[in-house]
Amino acid sequence: MDDLIALFTQQARAVSATVEPVADLAAAFDYAARLTTGQGGCLAAPGWGEGETESLAEACAGAGVELVTSGLRQEVGRFTVGLTRAQYGVAETGTLVLDSADEQVRLASMLSEAHVAVLPLAKVRQDMFALEEELAAILSASPGYMAFITGPSRTADIEMVLTLGAHGPRQLHVLLLEDAS
Amino acid sequence: MSRASRRQYHARLRSALDNRFLGQTLARFQNRYAQARQAAMQGVDFEALSREVVEVKDAALPRLEELYGQFKAAAQAAGAKVHLAADAEQARQIIADIAARAGVKSIVKSKSMTSEEIHLNAYLESQGLEVVETDLGEWIIQLRNEAPSHMVAPAIHLSCSEVAELFCGVTGQEQDPEDIASLVEVARQQLRRKMLSADMGISGANFAIAETGTLATVTNEGNARLVTTLPRVHVALLGLDKLVGDLDSALKILRILPRSAAGQLISSYVTWVTGAVECAAAPSGAKELHIVFLDNGRLALSQDPVFAEALRCVRCGSCANVCPIWGKVGGHTYGHVYIGAIGLVLTYFYHGVEAARELAKNCLNCQACKVNCPSGIDLPRLIKGVAGRLNQQEGAPLKNQLMRQVLTNRRLFHFLLRRAYLAQKPLAHGERLIRHLPSFFTGEHGFRSLPVVAASPLRDRWPSIAPPLAEPKLKVAFFGGCLNDFVYPEQGEALLELVRGKDIQLDFAAEQTCCGLPAAMASEEETAREVARQNIAALDAENHDHVLTLCASCASHLKHAYPRLLADDPAWRLRAEALAAKVIDCASFLQDVVGLAALPEGGPKAAYHAPCHLCRGLDVHRAPRHLLAEAGLEYLSYEDEEVCCGFGGSFSLDFPELSAAILARKLDQVEATGAEMLVTDCPGCVLQLEGGLDQRGSSIKVRHLAQALAEAQRRAKD
Ligand code: SF4
Ligand code: SF4
Repeated sequence: MDDLIALFTQQARAVSATVEPVADLAAAFDYAARLTTGQGGCLAAPGWGEGETESLAEACAGAGVELVTSGLRQEVGRFTVGLTRAQYGVAETGTLVLDSADEQVRLASMLSEAHVAVLPLAKVRQDMFALEEELAAILSASPGYMAFITGPSRTADIEMVLTLGAHGPRQLHVLLLEDAS
Repeated sequence: MSRASRRQYHARLRSALDNRFLGQTLARFQNRYAQARQAAMQGVDFEALSREVVEVKDAALPRLEELYGQFKAAAQAAGAKVHLAADAEQARQIIADIAARAGVKSIVKSKSMTSEEIHLNAYLESQGLEVVETDLGEWIIQLRNEAPSHMVAPAIHLSCSEVAELFCGVTGQEQDPEDIASLVEVARQQLRRKMLSADMGISGANFAIAETGTLATVTNEGNARLVTTLPRVHVALLGLDKLVGDLDSALKILRILPRSAAGQLISSYVTWVTGAVECAAAPSGAKELHIVFLDNGRLALSQDPVFAEALRCVRCGSCANVCPIWGKVGGHTYGHVYIGAIGLVLTYFYHGVEAARELAKNCLNCQACKVNCPSGIDLPRLIKGVAGRLNQQEGAPLKNQLMRQVLTNRRLFHFLLRRAYLAQKPLAHGERLIRHLPSFFTGEHGFRSLPVVAASPLRDRWPSIAPPLAEPKLKVAFFGGCLNDFVYPEQGEALLELVRGKDIQLDFAAEQTCCGLPAAMASEEETAREVARQNIAALDAENHDHVLTLCASCASHLKHAYPRLLADDPAWRLRAEALAAKVIDCASFLQDVVGLAALPEGGPKAAYHAPCHLCRGLDVHRAPRHLLAEAGLEYLSYEDEEVCCGFGGSFSLDFPELSAAILARKLDQVEATGAEMLVTDCPGCVLQLEGGLDQRGSSIKVRHLAQALAEAQRRAKD
């Protein structure tokens, strides 16, 4: 397990993601709220349960951050940080698997300047093939939209020079959640 | 007709070669790619992964229609509409109709080579629609009204300052010509607006999974996710060849595609869309999703016994990245819509004879694309195959007809070679190289001096220099090959010097003739088959321990092409295989069979050129370098050691401007090492390298490996 997490962390950092351990969801919410303070003050966090949204709202209030959880098409350009929960992690490549059938999740993770994803430690696997059954289950949802996300958006289209933040988020923060209960 | 198109093509090549910035950009790109790829392949077994891709693709291709049916059922069940377009025109029409019915005015696109294939943008624009590419590179070339010059990096032929100038026009504001990050920012802002307001998104797809009706798209910028999410209508356009059976197949391709495309373990985003997902911008609350499959010759191609494997291509672009020709001229002259080696093949099938005619000849057969292709496509062979079909359709050039007559008749061929000695004599002024070619050959061809045909070929000298041994421990059939036999007999003599006293008998069968590679290069398969039979009979591999040749190209041809050429000939197939199994190259023979004593250091500084057909054709890398070091030479390495020298047999006569440019890059690097000697183990490479160095007035001596080692032994004895 520790090896898997170490590999995931190393690979995700190698593609310019920020990886931080968090003890519990409350810590993750604090992290997102704090990050948003420095980035314009509006956080998009769709797809969380009722109780979770409540404690996130508290964290946001404490940090002086506005929270939006739905209707994100109307909020484009206002929210700068998107907070989502990843279903799985792939250690070999430092990849997140994000079930994005919910359009709001897509908008939050694509149109933000920084994407913060919470990934439960227990959901990290060695490679795509070790996850095949789980992925097939997500795919069998019809209609469905699944995203593999590895590092922030990037381009090397001009003179082959790597530049981050082409069309998607400029930053990707992965919060490794120890206690997912 | 064909002469005019040839002239035009050469003019375009010339102007690409004269563009200094282009040359520098492409060279830098190729270097960076090579490093990134190497790093990304570390710890993975490329061959094993590539074999899996081949299996997946070869399982899918024969049943594309069935997979299409399966995909369609699953995708329609998930709310998509699935269309099949027989050709480009139908595909354009289907998409325009969708746009008209949905009241679409503005379209944003993410990258799709298939839409380039059918020239979709121009058509949609002619229908009054606004079409904006959102992939940065695609947007740049769209603004410049150009075609992509690379399948993965479409604007790689442009400099940062050219892009800055272009963006000045778009924004009406000054742009820093050196600040790439701020140029990316301009694109981000401009295109974000377009994506938010567009009515329709058009994307391509890397895989279509039949089982679930899922489309997968691999991108780094993230524009494909936005294009498939924001607008209310989504049209995905893809070739039927993108169909695979299930998720497992897609994952197997995904494991190697980004590694091969950009030296990445995986791209930033892989997006898997199944059906009409939620979309707040659509009146129904669900996306209007249309999936348009393009046939355009693919189904027919998938049933072709020779060319079907071209459909295995996963569009990684690597066959351009490693190609010495693309590296000199870029994709606008080395491809039509599809670029690089695979472009040379697909252009004929997707865009026709006119577009393919000159392209299909423009290949060195250096094998670099083949060994790097994650889909295991034998690209150089398919390129020759296309050229052969063009010859059939349009009539073969005169040189092919001559070749058929001369090459199959050994006596005539050798008679002509002997006569060549007399014809060349007045030009050589008593030297071994002809510096000034007769006027009909000057101009583009003057980049290298040419060797003269020897006064007496190796075959005539053989009886006196290699008398039969009473009780040899090994019997080796020696295959000279035309250059070694008639131009460079001294290389064969050097070899005999190295094996003297080792109890090894070398037989030179007088009935042997040209190996047939030039015929295969000219797409004259029948001629190639005929000389193959003659050589198999002459060499009598069954009664020898090895078949040795000093020519890497001959060795690779005897070993790989003979069994393939004669696969359908029951009388010869087994003999071809028996011969193939015994073929050995000079370096491996000297190292593994003969065993040479180590010599003290202090020999000349030597650089090495790895012949394509040795390092890639026979996978021999270490032996020649090791032998040089063991013989006391000071081996100096340089970056492009395993890159082609630009010879390619008749290629250097058909494309002298390219041959010269590729040679120059190599020789610049060799000269920079400070070497006194350049060693290689193929007489064709010797011809090219020696001729080029001579024209430069360089003092670097070129030696065949056998000569370099024989000289080292002589030096050690003195
Ligand atoms: S032919 Fe092979 S190397 Fe070329 S783009 Fe296709 S998969 Fe890549
Ligand atoms: S064989 Fe060599 S020259 Fe021909 S397409 Fe492949 S890489 Fe290019």
